[in-house]
Amino acid sequence: MATTTATITLSSADIADNNISLSNTATLTNAGNDTGMTKTTGLTRVTLESTSPVVLIDAGATTRLNTISRGKIYIKNLNDRGDGTKFVTVEMDASAPVEIGRLYGGDFCFFPFDGSAGNDIGLDPSDGTSTTLEYIIFFE
Amino acid sequence: MATTTATISLNSSDILSQAISLSSTMTLYKGGTTATGLEQMNYHRVIVPIDDYGGATATQFDLIPESASLANNSNYLYICNKNTDVTHYVTISIGAEVIGSLYAGDFMFIPWSNDVTDTQGATDPSGNDTSIEVQAFVASATLEYALFHVGETLLTAGDS
Repeated sequence: MATTTATITLSSADIADNNISLSNTATLTNAGNDTGMTKTTGLTRVTLESTSPVVLIDAGATTRLNTISRGKIYIKNLNDRGDGTKFVTVEMDASAPVEIGRLYGGDFCFFPFDGSAGNDIGLDPSDGTSTTLEYIIFFE
Repeated sequence: MATTTATISLNSSDILSQAISLSSTMTLYKGGTTATGLEQMNYHRVIVPIDDYGGATATQFDLIPESASLANNSNYLYICNKNTDVTHYVTISIGAEVIGSLYAGDFMFIPWSNDVTDTQGATDPSGNDTSIEVQAFVASATLEYALFHVGETLLTAGDS
């Protein structure tokens, strides 16, 4: 097994009267036990060039020699924020998309996914601006 | 405006033959702005009860109800499962769509655009299509979550 950790810190000196600093570290393990995840896509960079939605993870499908099932995904929009109106929407279920949220330039997200049928993860650009993203998946 | 930052790092010395060390920092801005920081947040700790051991009738709760005040903008959500038994988990969903499972010690950080499409009332949203929902499995789960958001619908007091 491997040992992979994810650490997040959320901090602000002025969103409340007192400083806020939330921090947490998680070790990425398989479901229901403490065995570390052993597979990863590695860091991957993609560029979207149109307004067409794309499937980033085709849940259950065999890609990169492995069937990507349950895992954790990190996605970052590497574009500049620009005028603040351009983003890529992260979606679940390509056949009937459900919005998670918008990644504006510079934004990232990190979340678990179950990888079962209907658990595809998609990206839906707000416009045709060339958008570069990086992602990495750790999975069972 | 306020300045709130999120920093994440992903590290492993042995999942590949070379070490992985990724780090990124972002500032939480309002959607449609170049650099206006989010000014509102909710930070909660909650125990999600279990009423049926993983069964089909186990209750799915609204962790964060959808709201027109939050809709189609920038909100950022952090959720952490504070349980310690590795078999304990919760599923996090948007409406009927499961995003994924948070096992004990796991966290997630996502943008949430709260894509409200159903009709909703001012005090009791009838549409439930984009609420953040949670369901506990195996045991009750203690969660901490923080929502950095663009607005909140305050309910008119009944005696106002």
